[in-house]
Amino acid sequence: MPDETKTSLYHKRKRGVDGVLRGLIYAAAAITVLALVGILLYILIRGIPHLSWSFLSSSYSETDPTRKGILPMLINTLYLVALTLLIAAPIGIASAIYLTQYAKQGKLVKVIRFTTEVLSGIPSILFGLFGYTVFCTLFRLQTSILAGALTMSLCVLPTIIRTTEESLLAVPQSYQEGALALGAGKFRIIMGMVLPCAMPGVLTAIILAMGRIVGESAALLFTAGVSYHMPTGPFSHIMESGRTLTLHLYQTAREASSEDAMNVAFATAAVLLILVFLLNRLAALLSRMLKKG
Amino acid sequence: METTMSSLAADGKAKRRAWIKGAAAMLLGLGIVGFFFLPQMLFVFRDMGYTVTGWDLTFAQGFWIENAQGGVLVGIPWLPRAASIAGPALALCGIVLLLFRRTTLAGIAYVLSGISPLVLLVSSASIQTAVASQNISEISVGYYLPFFYTLLAGIAGAVLSLWIQGGEKLAQSIFLVASCVSIGAVLVITVYIIVAGAPALAEIGVFQFLFGTTWDVASEQFGILALILSSLAGTAGAIVLGVPIGVLTAVFLSELASPKVSRWIRPAIELLAGIPSVIYGFVGMLVVVPAIRAVFPGSIGDSLLAAMIILAIMVIPTIVNVTENALRAVPPSYREASLGLGATPIRTIFSITIPAARSGILSGVILGVGRAIGETMAVIMVAGNVANMPSLLGSVRFLTTGIAMEMSYASGLHRQALFAIGLVLFIFIMIVNLSFTLISRRGAKFHAG
Repeated sequence: MPDETKTSLYHKRKRGVDGVLRGLIYAAAAITVLALVGILLYILIRGIPHLSWSFLSSSYSETDPTRKGILPMLINTLYLVALTLLIAAPIGIASAIYLTQYAKQGKLVKVIRFTTEVLSGIPSILFGLFGYTVFCTLFRLQTSILAGALTMSLCVLPTIIRTTEESLLAVPQSYQEGALALGAGKFRIIMGMVLPCAMPGVLTAIILAMGRIVGESAALLFTAGVSYHMPTGPFSHIMESGRTLTLHLYQTAREASSEDAMNVAFATAAVLLILVFLLNRLAALLSRMLKKG
Repeated sequence: METTMSSLAADGKAKRRAWIKGAAAMLLGLGIVGFFFLPQMLFVFRDMGYTVTGWDLTFAQGFWIENAQGGVLVGIPWLPRAASIAGPALALCGIVLLLFRRTTLAGIAYVLSGISPLVLLVSSASIQTAVASQNISEISVGYYLPFFYTLLAGIAGAVLSLWIQGGEKLAQSIFLVASCVSIGAVLVITVYIIVAGAPALAEIGVFQFLFGTTWDVASEQFGILALILSSLAGTAGAIVLGVPIGVLTAVFLSELASPKVSRWIRPAIELLAGIPSVIYGFVGMLVVVPAIRAVFPGSIGDSLLAAMIILAIMVIPTIVNVTENALRAVPPSYREASLGLGATPIRTIFSITIPAARSGILSGVILGVGRAIGETMAVIMVAGNVANMPSLLGSVRFLTTGIAMEMSYASGLHRQALFAIGLVLFIFIMIVNLSFTLISRRGAKFHAG
């Protein structure tokens, strides 16, 4: 009788290997989490002590040890984000509208889908190579923020198209039918109803694109350049070369010869991480809003 | 009676509006044709200025450049000639088409006419190289108003002629043009990379280039076998290290973790995916490289192994995301059947759930391969960048870093060789992309049937 209970259905079966495999699964998850936490803590602990208002608000010089601020890089990053979105967001959103609202599911849509996929798979160094020769050399923009922004527009286009498309598809068909029944034209329905309903999704797309631009480096190395000088003017700066925060981190980390120089790199990395984290949280918040509303 | 009257009036109003739009578009087009005879560009070679009209660019023989032997005629290549006549010619086509009420075709003609100055801008670089070959280095080019006018008027004319058929038609056309931008971008990039990479392949020889083992700029020896093998080895290493960890983490998230735990871990992994590659490189440079130096005394630290470890961490988020989705798509009935037959939960995971999700997992792995093979900045910071044959603890240079290291100062054949590296990298990426498309299509079929 007691033997039977051991093999009964109600008794949990045990397998020796199970413990090991379960251990492996937990270990893998732990490694992933530890890698993230490790990177975050390492950068933040070493970087945050060197953050100060003067670090954020003063200019930079490679030779002058008293001028180690990152204001020019912050401005460059901001310019690049704004200019890229100015170019890519209208095109991306318009093409998502075409794909979801106008296009019949046919050859053209397939081709566009395929090309966006290809575009999103191209490594950023190839975008950099392309941007350098086409925008900087052929279009004679030199290494400038504008050339960088044009290059980045190509990089972020797939992200914007795909995310916007998803959010447009999520707008209930019945809304559009209702508006159509009231006699509204297609363009009016899209602008007045579909797009506003999908707004959190469109904003998510834009924030994801911002994250990509802030984090990009290889595509900008030859297109936007690595100059660290203060902008000469609000408009002329578009045609000037300027390094973003990522490239600043790259340059300072490679050239760092002293403890102080390394601290500049750490502080820059901390600023970058904080920026990326904020953008990431904002995107998560918006997508939660989209799911609710 | 009254309704007919008012609708008639509205009809007349719409007709008048259409007429105004058509007339405006035609005026803009006439402007483009007229400006053809006005100065478009200013070339300054050394201290000689040449003011050039569209007519000159198309029909003049070339630039007479004075030098010690008296002078020499530098011809104008066919592309700038064609681009310069194309603007007004297409605008003229647009006007004629408008007269015959073919508004859509007219719109296309106007757009092309508006693009022609850009083609001229790009192709006139060939004039400069021709002049530069006469030992003239101070070259500058200026543009006059007609140049910009053609650009803007072409686009405005297109908008107006499409608008004749009503706002809806115009809106649809604009959306269509926008969605063709990504097609255009991919086409241009593909063509460009092939065109830019081919000359070096032809000059060096495909075999010599792909299987040559020496990369030496000074003696113009450009063999990239070491770069190709290093890239492949680095990617393989990243996959070997990253895939087990990534897949098992995904298993943890979808099968074992309580919703509360996965609600914390999933955003963390998303954040891991969003961290800029420069930061990975930075951490690798300061943590992984010294660690390797400590574990293997005598090694330099900046090595293939360091690149593998950093790339592995970078591909984990991609693999976790795709794998978790694939695991969640496995129907619960599979698991229940297995559990019902007496398999333990862990055995169910490894014998049922993971095999059922294998096509999804495979596409995650391929995405990871794409990410690893294309990564530049993280690798450049940890791999040492000497073009050696790959060895685990040796300094190596990848295809990507090969381009990034030397692009800023390369010229001549060296520079063309870098473009050829870009072409090789592009082919690798295309293979990865195609296999991803094929596998995800097969996966979709599996889930549908």
